[in-house]
Amino acid sequence: MSMISIALSGANAAQAALDASSQNTANLQTPGYSRQGVVLASVQPLYDGAQVAGSGVAVTSIQRFSDQYTNLQLWNAASGLGQSTSAQPYFTQLEQVMGDTTTGISAGLDGFSSALNAASEDPSSDPLRQQVIASASSLAQQFNSQSQLMTNQMTAVDQQRTSIISQVNELTTNIAQLNGQIVAAQATGTNASGLLDSRDQAIGSLASFASVQVADQPDGSLDVSLTSGQPLVEGTTAASLSATTNPDDTQTLNLNFSNVSFTLNGAVGGQLQGLQDFQTNVLQPMMQSITGMAQQVATSYNNQLAAGFTPAGTAGTPLFQFVPAGATGTLSVTPGIQTSDLAFSSDPTASGDGGNLTQLIALDSQPVALPVLGNVTLSDAMTQIVGTLGTQSQENQNAAATAQTVSDQAEATWQSVSGVNSDEEATNLVQYQQMYQANMQVIQVANTLFANTLAMFNPAAVI
Amino acid sequence: MMRIATNQYRDMMSTALQTATAQMDALNLQLATGEQYTAPSQDPVATVQLDRLSRNEADITQYQSNITTLQNKLSVNESYLNSISNDILSAHDLLVQAANGSNNAADESAIASSLQPLMQSMLYTANSTDAEGHYIFSGTMTNTPAITYNPAAAIGARYTFTGNANQQLVAVGSGVTQPANVALPQMATLLNQLDTAQSTLSAPGVNVNTPAVSGLVAATITGVETALGSISGTIASLGGEQNILSTMNTNFSDINLTDQQESVSLGQVNYAATYTQLTGYTTAVQAAQQAYSQVSKLSLFNVV
Repeated sequence: MSMISIALSGANAAQAALDASSQNTANLQTPGYSRQGVVLASVQPLYDGAQVAGSGVAVTSIQRFSDQYTNLQLWNAASGLGQSTSAQPYFTQLEQVMGDTTTGISAGLDGFSSALNAASEDPSSDPLRQQVIASASSLAQQFNSQSQLMTNQMTAVDQQRTSIISQVNELTTNIAQLNGQIVAAQATGTNASGLLDSRDQAIGSLASFASVQVADQPDGSLDVSLTSGQPLVEGTTAASLSATTNPDDTQTLNLNFSNVSFTLNGAVGGQLQGLQDFQTNVLQPMMQSITGMAQQVATSYNNQLAAGFTPAGTAGTPLFQFVPAGATGTLSVTPGIQTSDLAFSSDPTASGDGGNLTQLIALDSQPVALPVLGNVTLSDAMTQIVGTLGTQSQENQNAAATAQTVSDQAEATWQSVSGVNSDEEATNLVQYQQMYQANMQVIQVANTLFANTLAMFNPAAVI
Repeated sequence: MMRIATNQYRDMMSTALQTATAQMDALNLQLATGEQYTAPSQDPVATVQLDRLSRNEADITQYQSNITTLQNKLSVNESYLNSISNDILSAHDLLVQAANGSNNAADESAIASSLQPLMQSMLYTANSTDAEGHYIFSGTMTNTPAITYNPAAAIGARYTFTGNANQQLVAVGSGVTQPANVALPQMATLLNQLDTAQSTLSAPGVNVNTPAVSGLVAATITGVETALGSISGTIASLGGEQNILSTMNTNFSDINLTDQQESVSLGQVNYAATYTQLTGYTTAVQAAQQAYSQVSKLSLFNVV
């Protein structure tokens, strides 16, 4: 009679299932935890015979509820979200500074133009001339603080990239180590579920930085590569990422895998591409335009001043100084310039003449050739730059909103497959508890049967 | 039917609450600043329009300020010219008196000495300067007096116009300029004529009935009349310019008003609509919070 051993297998299976449910319930709030369940199978009879039902139940495996396709969706969504959200703080900062029309270069240009216009009332007036120099100095400061902001952003993006690169390198090393541990665990039949969860999470973090593709290997390891093909992790070998700064202040990404070096173009997806795109498509063109504007302000006004005469009848001297420095430059008012150095007159003998001043006033409505923007007037250039920035930021926000929806959806799908439902676990606990109790009951029945059989041979024993 | 994990409801709730909070933040900022757009990306096109309007406004403000200053300056010019005009009229009266054949030499001498202060007054007024010491009536050569008096020169050539006839042009609109000054070259001629007459009439024993003297007096009267006509014409043209400037000022005010109205309709927050939206989000957040607190009470663990 095998009732007892069959019942025991049932009680053991129920206990394993209760363990799995307990583990699931315990990890209800654990990020990245994939729920587990027991896979039960009936055990074939140990000996032949038409009247034998079987030898009980066995837990053939502990199943980890995970779907590689769902994981891939989640990782793709992380790349998309990383790409569109990484640059947004920089956009927001630029918008806050440049969007205010009462400060900044626009206001500086307006102020300078106003001062010139006011000077036309009395071109030889010292206070009005002083106002021109003061507003020119303020305009130069606006250019410089804008340049400073853009240079700071360039540096901040580079620093963020450096920090991302070190995180990427940690993650690839981590994934490679987990690959090794998972292969070892599976070879000895140990449950590697926790390790698999850690590895999936590490890949998810990696995917936020750069877009990845993964390939399952028969031994349980996962190979990770960039979507452009370069390997990041193969088995237990991890690649290492680095950045080199180019002469034009841009950075190039290099990937080293087993002593083979790859140069990556910017299209690596994720946060790395978001930052790269912001630098290349937003910050650099803006720096070129604004530096070009500063240079044009200096050139146009200085040239026009050189064509005129000071009240003393001497040829005009430059009002502005532009010193190029790397990607940007600094604009300043010529040190020590006096009101009597401003050449507003077009007649060396007439100190009160404003002919050249009229030409100076007209400069801000004359088109000048600016990098990126083409031929625009100085007064329109800044409006155009702010408009372009607004459009680019809006595009990025829209992309981020879409990526967020995709990410939420992917997360929901993943949760649907791998997430724990506490009600489900409560049901399991009740059901497997009942299964355990039923099997105990079977043992009780078997015991009674056994006692009855014994009593047949010893009636005195039966009360 | 999709299987729902316990945390999905919490995640959904937290996303919904976060979105609503972000929207409420944005609406609050709009209400606090009174601006419909707090960043260019909210509406790049409107931002560009608003930027252009505000630049336009800055230009117009400057032009209007120039117009006001110019109007004051022209009024000052006009009052100086009126003073000159009055002096010329007085000189005219004296010369007409001098042409009277019954005058004796003493009478003529008295008339001549009355001419002297008038000439000094005219010279002084023609060489008026502004607060910074720049000469008003010497064209664009504002560092030199309009009329230079050289006592060593021959009578009739002692006064020279040392300015020029160029105009100081003030920007009163985009590409529009108005002259801010008048030059007085005619004053040198007039003063030389008066100087000659004064010198002749003050000579001892002068007889106004001699053809030379009466001719000179008649010619001087003609000269004075010509100068008076010229000054009066200038005063009239200053008045005309004042009218033009007033019209331009009114036009600018109209444009500015239109621009401001457009700025307001484009850029100012619609308080009623925004407040209604804010109330909507507040209600939604309250409802979501209550729903969450109710639904999270439901768990099978509470009953097993």
